Amino acid sequence: MSSISLRTITKSFGDAMVLDGVDLDIKDGKFVTLVGPSGCGKSTLLRILAGLEATDAGTVTIGKRDVTQTRPSLRNLAMVFQSYALYPHLSVAQNMLTPLLMRDLTKTQRLPVIGPLISRAKRKALTAQVDAVAQTLKITELLTRKPGQLSGGQRQRVALGRAMVRNPVAFLMDEPLSNLDAALRVHMRSELTELHRRLKTTFVYVTHDQAEALTMSDRMAVMMGGKILQFGRPDDIYRDPNSLAVARFVGSPAINTLSSEIDEQGTLTVLGESMGRFSGLSQQSVVVGIRPEHLTLSKTGRFGGMVKHRENLGSDVFLHLVVDGHADVVVVRATPAHAPALAAQVRFTMSSDHLLIFGADGQRLRAEHTTSKVAV
Amino acid sequence: MGNQRAYLWCIGPALILMFLILLLPIFIAAGMSFTNYSLGNTSADFVGLENYEQIFTRSTYAKMFGATFRYVFLVVPMTVGLGLGAALLINSLTRFGEVYKTIYFLPVMSALIAMAIVWEFAFHPTIGIINATLERGCGTFLEGWTWYAKGCARTFPLWLTDRDYAIWTVSFIGIWQGFGFNMVLYLAGLTGIPRDLYHAAEMDGTQSAWDRFCLVTWPMLGPTTVFVVTISFIRSFQVFDTVEAFYPQGGGPSKSVYVMMFAIYEKAIQQNLMGIGAAITMVFLGFVMILTLIQRWLVERRTHYA
Repeated sequence: MSSISLRTITKSFGDAMVLDGVDLDIKDGKFVTLVGPSGCGKSTLLRILAGLEATDAGTVTIGKRDVTQTRPSLRNLAMVFQSYALYPHLSVAQNMLTPLLMRDLTKTQRLPVIGPLISRAKRKALTAQVDAVAQTLKITELLTRKPGQLSGGQRQRVALGRAMVRNPVAFLMDEPLSNLDAALRVHMRSELTELHRRLKTTFVYVTHDQAEALTMSDRMAVMMGGKILQFGRPDDIYRDPNSLAVARFVGSPAINTLSSEIDEQGTLTVLGESMGRFSGLSQQSVVVGIRPEHLTLSKTGRFGGMVKHRENLGSDVFLHLVVDGHADVVVVRATPAHAPALAAQVRFTMSSDHLLIFGADGQRLRAEHTTSKVAV
Repeated sequence: MGNQRAYLWCIGPALILMFLILLLPIFIAAGMSFTNYSLGNTSADFVGLENYEQIFTRSTYAKMFGATFRYVFLVVPMTVGLGLGAALLINSLTRFGEVYKTIYFLPVMSALIAMAIVWEFAFHPTIGIINATLERGCGTFLEGWTWYAKGCARTFPLWLTDRDYAIWTVSFIGIWQGFGFNMVLYLAGLTGIPRDLYHAAEMDGTQSAWDRFCLVTWPMLGPTTVFVVTISFIRSFQVFDTVEAFYPQGGGPSKSVYVMMFAIYEKAIQQNLMGIGAAITMVFLGFVMILTLIQRWLVERRTHYA
């Protein structure tokens, strides 16, 4: 068992606080994604876990061992870099062999010229290991090439292969897909999840792309401003975000946020229409979040608006609606067959079960919906 | 239709200048090397390969090659090695790097002929700082070294005028003067190595600085090294100013510092033997050409990382 735990990790570069007391527990074998906008500290957190960056305060524990002061090469972690960081002067096979040579051969066995002569049997075994990994990743025919002769996707695989050849405690990946084109990125997502299922090793994956986080991970940690705002299953985070920032960051297109009011009886009014009473909420201004898929076009809907912009994704059409008398633009998901034209007047309904209510400070207000008054 | 020839106007000026300034003088020198031409003479006799025969048979020229190769094969490895060492050390500093860079680069910027005068004083057998310093070590443990004891008993070497030491002393000044230049080239090469490669090496399990050097730094400096070595070779073959400053007549004790450039100068300018001077120049050009071809070959073959 080698679970990883980070305790009160703090890091600042000069005056800039990058990580502010971050706690994170990663269970053995999980695929955990750190996701957040650029500059949120996710890469720094990963590098602290790897040991490439020192913490100002806090501890890193792998298994039962405190590795805070251990150098990266002794932590037995493997990392895939955004730039792949392949050794350009070595062939693919040699690149993948390097971590094995560094770990399994003695200093004299690594010497140039003499080294290969005195450690022939050992090297043969290591080369066999490389071949096996190359076969899993389907890069056998690339083994003799140099990284300069490979495409982006192939380099990515080689970087992955270099990480896989030894059996590390965890794979750390720092935006490994961000240099690939869109189609390949989607393809690699499923390959990485497949790989994780087969290897059953911990993956810690950093990305700024919430879609990658949602599609691939067992657990995701949404980071912003040097803090983990929420940690949980992708489903839960999408459905049940703790704060407005998380709700806005996760999901594409973004969640609709509508400034609304709660009166003294606890009645919520959204876009001028009452959405029923919520117990436990006092009179205040709130922000209501509702996902585009929870708004439905309906001829008899309570809300009306004019189509200002259409986003056609093929399978869905997202309509940007201007609601009379309100500043907020509302995005509604529609099926392409029934999508109205630009500038058309449409009506839609809002299901109050999916309303997410956030206070003025951006924190989620969890309230019981008492009178169900679903719009017709 | 005339536009098809437009390229001639673009490459023409460069082509003409290159021909006039570079190629034509080489052809003239090549032609001259087969004659006994002297400056001022209206005509010259064709002597065939006589000049070349002299270069490869006479003992003076054997000394010339000896001095040149001694100088080159000491100065090149030392300037490259020290340049790399200094660059690595400076690169590892977080502070004062600029100061060291300036200090090591100063000799490169200074006029070698002026520095030669300073070194001449420093190496002076009686008033020079070098031997004066060495004498202070007499009577200490240093005398356990037989060479040192001998120096104390009699005198320390006459660095510049002893034929056993002269070429090495001149080489030392060449190293002192040249390694700063290589250091700057290596520093530029070092900044071009992606930090990620070191991190990848660390994740792959390298623990010692030596492993890191072998796995990342040295291979990544390959293109720089090819360039630095070639440049150092050419610069060392060209050594002239120190020799001319120390030994204006005759190329040092027993011609032990009679390097090629000085030989060309002595024959062609001082003695007005243009033919033989041109012949030495052609041999010199041959060496430089061979080095350049090796460099081209290495650049295209091995050290090119796309």
